[in-house]
Amino acid sequence: MTKIDREDLQLISRHSNLSEKGIEKILKEQIYSDQNDWRQFLKLVMISLGVGFTAFGILFFFAYNWADLHKFVKLGLIEAIIICLTIGILSARLNKLTKNILLSGTVLIVGVLFAVFGQIYQTGANAYDFFLGWTLFVTLWVVVANFAPLWLIYIALINTTFILYHQQVLRSDASVYLHTICFIINGVSLILFLFGNHINSKIHAPGWYTKTLALATVVFATLGNIVGIMDNKPAGWFVLLLILSSLLYGYGIYYALRRQSHFYLSIIAFSVIVIFCFVLIRISNGQGMFFLISIYVIASVTLVVRQMLKLQKKWKG
Amino acid sequence: MERLEKLKSIVAALTRDDSEVVIDEKAMEKSIVEHEENQAGLAIKVLTIFGGFLATISFIAFCIVAGLYDSGGGLLVFGIVFIVVAILLDRFYDRLIIDTFSVTMYASGLALAGWGIGALDLDLDLIPLLYILVGTIIILVTRGFILSFLSVLAVSGSIITLMLSNNHYDLIHLYNTICTMLVTCLFLNEAKAISMNNRFSELYGPFRIGLIFSLLFGLIVLGKKGFIPVSENLVWLSSVVMFAVVLYLVTKILNILSIGDVRTKAMILIASGLILLPTVFSPAISGAILILLLSFMVNYRTGMAIGVIALVYFISQYYYDLNFSLLTKSIMLISSGSLFLLLYFFTSKKNSSNEEL
Repeated sequence: MTKIDREDLQLISRHSNLSEKGIEKILKEQIYSDQNDWRQFLKLVMISLGVGFTAFGILFFFAYNWADLHKFVKLGLIEAIIICLTIGILSARLNKLTKNILLSGTVLIVGVLFAVFGQIYQTGANAYDFFLGWTLFVTLWVVVANFAPLWLIYIALINTTFILYHQQVLRSDASVYLHTICFIINGVSLILFLFGNHINSKIHAPGWYTKTLALATVVFATLGNIVGIMDNKPAGWFVLLLILSSLLYGYGIYYALRRQSHFYLSIIAFSVIVIFCFVLIRISNGQGMFFLISIYVIASVTLVVRQMLKLQKKWKG
Repeated sequence: MERLEKLKSIVAALTRDDSEVVIDEKAMEKSIVEHEENQAGLAIKVLTIFGGFLATISFIAFCIVAGLYDSGGGLLVFGIVFIVVAILLDRFYDRLIIDTFSVTMYASGLALAGWGIGALDLDLDLIPLLYILVGTIIILVTRGFILSFLSVLAVSGSIITLMLSNNHYDLIHLYNTICTMLVTCLFLNEAKAISMNNRFSELYGPFRIGLIFSLLFGLIVLGKKGFIPVSENLVWLSSVVMFAVVLYLVTKILNILSIGDVRTKAMILIASGLILLPTVFSPAISGAILILLLSFMVNYRTGMAIGVIALVYFISQYYYDLNFSLLTKSIMLISSGSLFLLLYFFTSKKNSSNEEL
């Protein structure tokens, strides 16, 4: 039988005398999670909770003020844990997913190592160089493991390093610059993951991962453009961001149409609508303008939804 | 039409299996056409809601800048008119493309009416009472997904507001109990809900997601220590019902996994109870586990994502709020982490030995 989904079942149920028992049977056999799904799920939950709790336990252990412990003992202990874990991952007969989750835990412990280093040498636990070190030293593992959750941690680390650098070293409020760089970091990674498989067949990312990256990229583009529009002395960075985000959005729409993705279309459309609201506010912030903006938002969102429904009809044939 | 062909083949298979099944193909065909014009994925729904809220914010900003807040009566009347327009639009022009406008009318209407009640110096409790009334009416008359979803949120949010504004903080446990029961019943009786009647089966989707959010509201209020002055020694009340439902789900999962041996069953149930026990003073954690298990059971992805995010947040909040030294916290975390790892390796080994057999 053709694979049935929830909507199909609801439609059929509405126009037939299919009994409750019949529906229940179809739900259980075709839609609900089966024995195999549950096995995988429970295993994933246990290993993730296990590694997560233990890694944070180790973090808290070293965050405790061990005045009596010599600094070499502290650092040595963490390094020993890292070495043991890495050897374990390399030599034990475990499946790939387990190894990847353990490696992600090890990546977190490398962070602990740098935090303790910062604690001992009084550089502070949130210094940008601590995050820079953490990012650099786990790069190889991240690339080798090629595991989406680990990539996400890695991209978050790069973003954090840059944001802290911006705050601590540049001490600047020019946040168009900050948003532009973060937009570029996330946008480039997004493009790499969407098209990387043309270069190397091993590069492939699950949908949730590329969607998270796309969301981060669009958020930085939106915020950066808004700051640029409201800024009285727009800098060159704003022009760069405007050009880059227009290019990426244009390509994003093309990509979404080709891949039949409502998600990319929605986030790009909403971002453009929000940015244009601020263009209107920049022109005037009088009472009439706010009324106009609410009409504009309703009209534009309605138009986008209408187009998307048309596309949906076309895509479904 | 691809979809029609697909449904036809499913129907053919169904009638082959059970000759008593009669399907009104013509009506279904008509319904598919309407459905395709009117059925939106998550992305379109979220876009509509966000668009509606953005338009509402700028409309309220317009009211503030234009100084339209002098007349409380005027605000109240306009608010009610807006709500009525939203209901009428939804009732007589049930099309997705006007949903953004309906959402804006609905949200602005509620905001203006609430504002009006405040400006008239009336009892502020009237605001959530009005929202509950409006929400209930909309749930009874609407056919649209988004308006019913927002109404479920308006009703549950108002109930919590009423409890908190009248200092009946401990009633939150009653609220959580009712929400937990409703969510569980709805998830586990999907077949019944779909087969009941068309009206109920249309409301099933918005109710399911709406109730998950309603339960989350109750959990968030309890999940952050000191958020509301709830009696510390009564917090376990919410946990009791969560534990009972989670353990009930565990028995269902054991059935799916076809574990029939009574001793193994009892052991797994006791182990699950022991794992849950430390969270007795944080019902938010067991609540998030409940959402995750239920959503995975019926293969509902949005619910799973909400469950995972809620679980991570509530666990972090729990340890953050815990009044122990970092060392004690660390020992607790490492021991529970090791327990999960042991369980993992134990079950993997058992599975692989079964597979080898």
